Amino acid sequence: MEVVRNAFDFSDFPKTDLLVVGCGLLFLLFFPLLPHSTFAMATMIQFLMFSLYGMGWNTIGGYGGQVDLGKAQYVGIGAYTTAVMLIRWDVPFWVSMPAGVMFSVTWSFIIGYPLFRLTGHYFAIATIATSLVLKDVFEVWDFVGAARGLEILATKYDAVDFTHLIFENDNYYYYILLAFFLLGILIINWFRHSRLGYQLRCIKDNELIAQSLGIDVHKSKVKTYALATAFVSVVGSFHACYIKNIEPEDTMSLDLSILIALMAMLGGAGSLWGPIIGAGILIPLKSYLKEWLGASAGLVGIDLILYALIIMVVSAVEPRGVWGLIEKIRARRT
Amino acid sequence: MMKRFSMGLAWCAALMLIAGGWLVPSPAAAVKEVKIGVIYPLTGGAAAAGRELRAGAELAAQIANEVMDGIDMDMAKKAGIQSLGGAKIKLIFKDHEGNPTLGADLAKKLILDDKVDGILGCYHSSVTKTVSAVCEQYGVPMINGSSTSPALTKRGFKWFWRTTPHDKWFTKDLFELLDGLAAGKVRGVSGVKKDDLQRLAAACERTEWGAHVADLIKTLAEQYGYDLKKSILYAAKSADLSSEVRSLKAARPDVMLFASYTSDAILMVKTLKAQKAKPKLIWGQDAGFEKPEFRQTLGDNIVGILTRTVFLPKVADIKPVAGQVNQLYKAKTGHDLGGASARAFTGVQTWVYALEKAGSVDHAAIQKACNTIEIPGEQLVVPWAGIKFASTGDETGQNVLGSGLIGQYQKGKDGKIGLEIVYPFDLATADMIYPFPGW
Amino acid sequence: MDILISSLVAGLLIGSVFALVALGLTIIFGVMDIVNFAHGEFLMIGMYTGILTVQVTGLDPLFSLPVALAVGFALGLLCYVGFVKYLLRGPMVAQLLGTFGLMLFLRNLVLLIFGSEDRGIHTGILVGKSLDLGMGVIIPATKLAAAVLSVLSFVAVYVFIHKTKLGKALQATALNRQAARYMGIPAERMNALAWGIGGATVTAAGALLVNFWSASPYVGLLFTMIAFAIVALGGFGSIPGAFFAALVVGLITEIPGIWDFFTYTFDNDWMADVPMNSFKYTGVYLTYFIIMVVRPRGLFGWKL
Repeated sequence: MEVVRNAFDFSDFPKTDLLVVGCGLLFLLFFPLLPHSTFAMATMIQFLMFSLYGMGWNTIGGYGGQVDLGKAQYVGIGAYTTAVMLIRWDVPFWVSMPAGVMFSVTWSFIIGYPLFRLTGHYFAIATIATSLVLKDVFEVWDFVGAARGLEILATKYDAVDFTHLIFENDNYYYYILLAFFLLGILIINWFRHSRLGYQLRCIKDNELIAQSLGIDVHKSKVKTYALATAFVSVVGSFHACYIKNIEPEDTMSLDLSILIALMAMLGGAGSLWGPIIGAGILIPLKSYLKEWLGASAGLVGIDLILYALIIMVVSAVEPRGVWGLIEKIRARRT
Repeated sequence: MMKRFSMGLAWCAALMLIAGGWLVPSPAAAVKEVKIGVIYPLTGGAAAAGRELRAGAELAAQIANEVMDGIDMDMAKKAGIQSLGGAKIKLIFKDHEGNPTLGADLAKKLILDDKVDGILGCYHSSVTKTVSAVCEQYGVPMINGSSTSPALTKRGFKWFWRTTPHDKWFTKDLFELLDGLAAGKVRGVSGVKKDDLQRLAAACERTEWGAHVADLIKTLAEQYGYDLKKSILYAAKSADLSSEVRSLKAARPDVMLFASYTSDAILMVKTLKAQKAKPKLIWGQDAGFEKPEFRQTLGDNIVGILTRTVFLPKVADIKPVAGQVNQLYKAKTGHDLGGASARAFTGVQTWVYALEKAGSVDHAAIQKACNTIEIPGEQLVVPWAGIKFASTGDETGQNVLGSGLIGQYQKGKDGKIGLEIVYPFDLATADMIYPFPGW
Repeated sequence: MDILISSLVAGLLIGSVFALVALGLTIIFGVMDIVNFAHGEFLMIGMYTGILTVQVTGLDPLFSLPVALAVGFALGLLCYVGFVKYLLRGPMVAQLLGTFGLMLFLRNLVLLIFGSEDRGIHTGILVGKSLDLGMGVIIPATKLAAAVLSVLSFVAVYVFIHKTKLGKALQATALNRQAARYMGIPAERMNALAWGIGGATVTAAGALLVNFWSASPYVGLLFTMIAFAIVALGGFGSIPGAFFAALVVGLITEIPGIWDFFTYTFDNDWMADVPMNSFKYTGVYLTYFIIMVVRPRGLFGWKL
C-alpha cells in the first residue's frame, strides 16, 4: 500500500512543474492523432526509449552518483533474449521480456559484485570494459547469430500481434512504449521515496557517513544497479521487436552506453525529470540536425559536433544539467 | 502566481516546440514520374563503392529517360517508360552508411513519407537484409543489384528480386578454376598438380556477407576435396591486420582467399607484403578487391591477384553494348565501369523493364511483372545470359541467368594495371600468371 | 616456433608504441586526478597530422613526428586553457561528462573534415620494407622504426621530468599539490604543462602509428581503452610502471598468435575452432577489469 502511495506522491514538486508535466502528458497521449511524418513518429519512439534508458541509468548514476558507462550490455541481453526466444521457440514477448530481465539482473549481480569495489572514474571505465567484453563474446557466439545478428521477420506475424509485439503500424508501438514510460515514472517516483533511494543519496553525498550510519553501501549499490538493469533490459526487449534486426554492433555498442549516460546527465542527474528533459532535447536535436544538415547538406557529423558542444558547455557551466539550471533560476526568483 | 503561471505556459510552449518539430508529408508531385528509392552507402567505410553505385544508377536512369544514339539498348531508344505514357524514372538517393538499422529506417521513410513506387539497393548484404524485410512488410517491390549473400533469397520473400548471382556461384567458380588449373584448362598455364593447391586459408570480414562466404568456402572446399587449413573472421574496418596475417601465414597455405571491403582489402595486401607472405594464389571475393582505389593505392603490388567480379572493362571486347555504356560512364566519372557500377546500372535497367511490362505503378502489377520478366542477355552490360527470376523454390526472387567472372590483375603493354579475364576459360582474354609472382 | 617468436616480437614492438600512448594519460592523471576520455582522440588527430604532413610537404612519414609533437602540445594546451580548466571546479561527474563531450567533439570534427573513410600512408622509404630475422620471423620496418622512436620519445620525457627543474616542479605537484603550491610552484601552469606534454606524446604516438595502422575518425576509443588498461596495470600516475605495463598489454594483444602456436604444436582441432583472433582486444579490457578489482591501486601504483 505504501509503495503505491509513494509511487503517486508528487507533492514535493511545485504546481508549475505539475502543470508542465500535465501538458506534456496530454501532448504525448494525443501525438499520434496529430498530423505527423513517419520520421517524427520514429523520433518520438526514440525519445520514449531513451527517456526510459535514462530513468534506469538515473537510479544508480544520478541518485547514487556511480557513473555507469556500460548500460548497452543490458540493452543487448534484453534484446537478444527476446529475439532468440521469439525466433527459435516462438515465445511471446510478455514471457521473453521478464526472462530477459532475469538474465540481465543475474548478469548485473555477477559483475556488479566486484564492480562496486571501485568508485569514481575507475568504476566508470570498468563498466565500459565489461560491456566491451560481453559484446566481443556475442560477436562470435553462433547461437545468437554472431556478428550477423538476428532478424525477426515481421511477415510471419499478423499486422497487429499483441502477443509477439509485432505491428505494421508504429502507433501501437508508441502507445505500448508510452505505457512503459508512465509506469517507469511511477517506479522512479517510488524509488525516490523508498528507503533504498534515501540510502543511495546518502552514499552519493558521503560514503563514509553512510557507512557510519549503518548502511551496507555495497549491498545498496548492487541492489540499485539491478533495478537500473531491469529498466534498460525491458526497453532492450522492446527494441528487438521494434527494430526487428539486432546486431552486437548496434545494440551493445559503447556509443549507446555513452548516449544513455550523456542524456541523463545533460538533463540533470539525480532528478526525476532530468533524463526525460535530456532525451527530449537531445533526441529531436540529433534526428533533425542529422536530417537537415547531415544527409541533405552532406555535413556528416555536424549533428554530433553541436551535440558535443552543448555537453561541453553544460558540464563546464552547470554540471547539474538543465534541471540544475532550472532550479538555479527558480532559486533566484524566490 | 500569475508570473509562475505564465512561466509554466512558456515551458509548455517550449516543450511542444521541442517535441513537435515534425515534418508534414509533402503533397504528391504533379509531374508524371516513377519514384524509385535508392539506398546506398554514400558515406562511411564503403563511400567509394557508394560513389560508383550512384554513378552507375544515375547513368542508367539518364539512358532510360532520354533518347540516346549509339547505344544498342531498347531503353536508350525511347524516352521514359512507354507503357506509362513516357513517365520518367526519378531516383531518390538515401545514405545508409553501412548501418542496417539506419537502412530500415530510411526504407520506412521512403515508403511512407516519400511514397516511392519501389526500392533499389543496398550493396551491403546486412543492410539489404533489413531493408528487404521492411519492403516485405509493407508490400513494396525491391530489386537488389549487388548484395551477394546467398541467404537473402532463401527467405521466400514475395517482394524481393535479386539480379546479381550470389556468392555460392562465385565461390564455386573459384573451385572450378582451381580444378581447371590442375586439369590444364587454364590459358597459359600447364603442369600444375592438384597437390600444389591443396592447402587453403581464408580470411573474411565478420559481417553478414563475410560470415556466409566463410561458410561457403568451408563446405565447397570439402566437396571439391581441398584442405581448408585456417579460416578466420576478422573485425570489419580493422585498423591493423598483422596478427591475422601471421595466423594465415602460419597455416602455410597454397591459396589465400579473402572477402573484404575496400579499406580492409588494401590493408590486407599491404600487410601480406610486409610479412612477405607468398602463397601460390591470392583470390579476393570482389568488393574491395575490384575497386579503383585498390588498384590506385597498391599499384604494381597487385599484379597476379585474382578477384571474382561480374564486370570488368575487358567485357567491352566481347560485348559492344558494354563498351558503349562504359564510354559514357568514363566520360561522366573518369573511371571504367566496375562490378559495383555495372550491377547498379543493371538494377535500374531491370526496374525499367519491370515498369514497362507492368504498365502501372500498382505494386501488385509490378510484382507480377517481376515474376515473369525476361530480359535478353544482349540488352545487358554484364556478361550474363539474361535476367529471369525464379518465382518459386528455395531461391525465390533470384535471377537464374547470371554468371560470374574471375579476373586477374596484370600489367598491360601500356604499363597500366588492369583486370584480365581468366575464368570462364572460354572467355579468357590473357594468359594467367601462375604462381603469384610475389612482392 | 616461428609464429610464437613473431608474435612475441610483434607484441613487444606494438607495446613500445602503446607506452607512448599511455604516457600522456598517466602524467595528466598524476598531476591533476582527472581522467581524459578524449585521450584516444588526440591520438587520432596525431594520425591525421601525420597523413596531412606527408600529403602537404611530400616528406617521408617519419619526419611528421616533430609536427605532431607541436600540434599535440598546442592542442593539449588549448584544451586545458579553453575548456578543462573550467571542469575542475565541478564534481567528478562533470569532468567525465566534459571530457566525453570533448571526445565526441574532436571525433566528429575530424569526421566532418576528412570523412569516415579509412586512410593510411602508402608511401615512404620504409613502407613495404622488412627485416628478416630468419626462421620466418619478419619485422616490418615501419613497425620497428615506430617502436624505436617511441621508446626514444618516452625516455626523453622521462629524463625531462626527472632531471629538469620544470619537470621536478611537475612531479612535486603530482606528489602533493598543496605542498607544491607553498613552495611557490604555480599549480595552474603545471596543469597546463601536463596537458601540453600529455597531448604532445600521444599525438606523436599517433603520427608513428599511422605508418602501419590506418586512421579513421573512430579509431580513438580503442586506444583510450588500451591506455586505461596500461595505466591501471602500471599504476595510476606512475611513468616507469606505464612502460612495463605497455609491453605486457602489447603481448596481450598478441595472444591469438600464441594460441595459434599451441594449436599447431598440439595439432588440436578444438583449439583451432576457437575464433581467438576475435578476442584480440578483449584481453585488454579483461586485464583492466581484473587488475582493478583485485588490486585497485594498480600493479605498481602509489596513488589513489
